[in-house]
Amino acid sequence: MTPHLDAAGAARRILDARETEVGVASLLVLDGPNQGARRLVFADGHAEGAMDDAELASALDELGGRFLKGELSAGRRGRDAGTHQVEPPGSDSVPVYAEVYLPPVTLLIVGAGHLALPLTRMGRLLGYRVIVLDDRPDFARSERFPDAESVRLVDFQAPFAQVEIDRTTHVLLVTRGHQYDYECLRRLLLLDEPPEYVGMIGSRRRVRATFHQLREEGISVEDLERVRAPVGLDLGAETPEEIAVAVAAELVLFRRGGTGRPLIEVEGVARRFFGNKEEG
Amino acid sequence: MNTSEAIDTLQALVHATDGGEPVVLATVVRTRGSTPRKEGARMVVGREGILAGTVGGGCGEGQVLEAAGEVLADGRTRTVEVDLTEDLLTLSPAVCGGILEVRVERVDPS
Repeated sequence: MTPHLDAAGAARRILDARETEVGVASLLVLDGPNQGARRLVFADGHAEGAMDDAELASALDELGGRFLKGELSAGRRGRDAGTHQVEPPGSDSVPVYAEVYLPPVTLLIVGAGHLALPLTRMGRLLGYRVIVLDDRPDFARSERFPDAESVRLVDFQAPFAQVEIDRTTHVLLVTRGHQYDYECLRRLLLLDEPPEYVGMIGSRRRVRATFHQLREEGISVEDLERVRAPVGLDLGAETPEEIAVAVAAELVLFRRGGTGRPLIEVEGVARRFFGNKEEG
Repeated sequence: MNTSEAIDTLQALVHATDGGEPVVLATVVRTRGSTPRKEGARMVVGREGILAGTVGGGCGEGQVLEAAGEVLADGRTRTVEVDLTEDLLTLSPAVCGGILEVRVERVDPS
């Protein structure tokens, strides 16, 4: 049996799990005789944090397992923290506060030009593990990207040869030319499990030209519709930094599921509460 | 996915307790209504003030800091209910609306 865990001990184990890329659910009993007891449930199946009540421990292990498998969200609207009622057999239900730590999602930025610089910084801030690829030695230098986990020099004929891509990966195509976007996008769409988020920068014309080539190759319209191109929210952004904000905003929107509209329009406080009632 | 703030507060907690300092961990465990931060927001408070994180800036953070001072002194975990609805029709800078339940506990060096 592992010893009782306090907040600092749990924090240390959560950070360790992050290093080794093992998901972990952290559970804290908020009320009842076991108030303050902590349990960590790991994605490899083991649990830590001694409990005086074995029934409660197994109820917590089951709850944590469901968070880690994605069967249940810890908080509302897909948040990674929230409070749940747990009912161990034979005792009263207790409130349990849960936090879920999954290994960081990889943000793969293809193209190491001007836009990649602010994108890498913002991606890191949002919690991504950022990997940057380019085929130009002058650009694909790790000194340019202190926030990237790795910067790799690749051949755009086989850009993903040394990169692990799975369904959870988020990919941003920001290469310097439409022929490179085309090469990279084609390979992504032909994977057995294409990434759930693929964004590509570009004007309508450039996106259209890329899509046209892909259609010629037999890629379905349905597949093309899943590509977020042109990537980013419509903010009227012009500089690389502004464009990076627009792209980062879309990544948050994808994760959290907002409307993407200005809150003033969504809430309409002045109109709703102070507008002319006769007209309204 | 966890933001860099969530990781920063864990590191601050480990760092402070490794250094022999007791600190206070304040965690938003429940919310109702429209609140500036949601469940999972937290901050680490030491003798000198906030070491990392936030539970909502001006909105109610003063109340949590006051409780943190008490918990640091007596070591008794408590849950602070920060009611941001009372201020709603005033011109207070802390107008947000909603209620935050913040668990405030002392974490001692091991």
